Amino acid sequence: MAPSVWEGKLVNGVLKVGKWTLAVFVLPCLLFYLAFVFAPIMVSVYYSLVEWAGMGDQVFVGLNNYKVLFTQDPIFWPSVLRTLYISLASLLQVPIAIVVAILVSRYVRRPNFLISSYFLPVILSVVVIGQLWKSIYNPASLGGMLNQMLIKFGLESWTKTWLGDTDWAIFALCFVIFWQYIGYHVLIQFTGVQNISSDIYEAASIDGAEGFKADRYITLPLLSPVIKISVVLAAIGSLKAFDLIVVMTGGGPANTTEVISTHMYYMTFNSFKYGYGSAISTFLVAFCLVMTVLLNLAFKRAEEAAS
Amino acid sequence: MDFRIARRAGAWIFMSILVVTQLYPLVWLLLYSFKTSSEIVSGQFFALPKRFMWENYVDAFTSGNYLKYIGNSIWVTGITLVLTLVLSGMVSYAITRFKWRYGNIVMLVFLVGIMIPIQSTLLPLMVIFKNMSILNTHAAIIIPYVAFSIPLAVFILSGFLRGIPHEIEESAMIDGASIYRIFFSIVLPITVPPIMTVTILTFISIWNEYIIAATFLSADSLKTLPFGVNSFVGQYTANYGSIGAYLVLGALPVITFYFILSDKITKGMVAGAVKG
Repeated sequence: MAPSVWEGKLVNGVLKVGKWTLAVFVLPCLLFYLAFVFAPIMVSVYYSLVEWAGMGDQVFVGLNNYKVLFTQDPIFWPSVLRTLYISLASLLQVPIAIVVAILVSRYVRRPNFLISSYFLPVILSVVVIGQLWKSIYNPASLGGMLNQMLIKFGLESWTKTWLGDTDWAIFALCFVIFWQYIGYHVLIQFTGVQNISSDIYEAASIDGAEGFKADRYITLPLLSPVIKISVVLAAIGSLKAFDLIVVMTGGGPANTTEVISTHMYYMTFNSFKYGYGSAISTFLVAFCLVMTVLLNLAFKRAEEAAS
Repeated sequence: MDFRIARRAGAWIFMSILVVTQLYPLVWLLLYSFKTSSEIVSGQFFALPKRFMWENYVDAFTSGNYLKYIGNSIWVTGITLVLTLVLSGMVSYAITRFKWRYGNIVMLVFLVGIMIPIQSTLLPLMVIFKNMSILNTHAAIIIPYVAFSIPLAVFILSGFLRGIPHEIEESAMIDGASIYRIFFSIVLPITVPPIMTVTILTFISIWNEYIIAATFLSADSLKTLPFGVNSFVGQYTANYGSIGAYLVLGALPVITFYFILSDKITKGMVAGAVKG
């Protein structure tokens, strides 16, 4: 590099560098990121104001797409509720994971095998998991394990085509999300429990706090930062459910497993309503940002209440 | 005392039930992949196959383009990793170690990206890529993969870089090293732990990614493994054994990787969760 470019000086531990050096370090990444993450979102906001089928003219319709979306679309509001519902259902993983983490660290001397087996599904592709569980939920005559099991145990009346049943499909999906991610939460909580110093428990046992009492007054409060992480992960898990739903049910049967992002995807890429799909997509971005802000507020409240 | 034993037994039963729930579906898939279709529909879900049907694997292997898909996945994931690490490494270094006015704002811009769902950019990206005429090439999936891997990478890397002592740079500067040399041959080598974390997180999410590949690619010769697996399953609907075999093959690379590096992977995933 030519010496004239290098005007570096170290002041109080920060480097003072020339404009060009700064540009070389910052611009490639920043411009790339702005061009392919931010610009598309802006473009999407613009598309949400037009009517367009991909070919031909874009007709400017103002906020009409949103009006239709909010007032006339029979799939939209249920899909919003379902997104929230999946988030809430995913939150159930957290208390279970905490209990498992505490039990494993108390009773298991060599925990690696257990933790790794819990964790294994986390690293698998959503396609493998989705197709695997589709086979499990198949009717018994097509090799479905769950129904074959029920028949074996004499519960033939309970068998159903799980993913084809408007009442059950969403539960069947939630169970798969649960199955895939519970190991992640167990791992996170387990690491949290391991990081609590054993001195604290020893001190507590002198004061007579052991077992469940120690869990209530020592483990849980000290775990709270780690619990927060799990809660955030579980809550945003409802967005990750997108691929799984596309692979497993495609939003069906009768739209009973449709979430915001699948609705957006099918409106855009199956019905070619590009403008309308973009309105849903814009709503989705706003929804995610609002959810994040609300979660942070809730945590602040909880921390204030605790202190 | 008896109460304690009961509690211990209860704990073990609970933990074992969870192990069975987590592993049994995978074991079942393995058995399934070696059975004939008639065995599969017979209802003997727990039985071992009468004869191991390696034919299922031969079938999946020969008619499923498996090696092609693996090759594509390795290529796409590899390029994504290199680009993500270089780009976000440089910007993180600038954010944490350079004196300039907009460092914090740039950081904030990257942080917002962590919250943006990748699905919401699918249509605009498709239009942009169509205009660049790179739709249905690997560039069309590598670009969004890198763009959406950057925020978390910047977050993790800058968290680490902020903490390295500045004496390291100081002595290099006295020796007359240029800023690029300092970055590439002094700073990067000591940044290995967070680079590992970023590599693992990015690898897992890109290797497994399905929707972007399925939306931007259509040529069979370009498909990545998850997309390939899904297409195979879609085409061979009634050939259960082969589907099972293909799913096992689809899971195999990442499971092998996990067996070799399980400690690093679990640590990386925890670090990623804690920071993300």
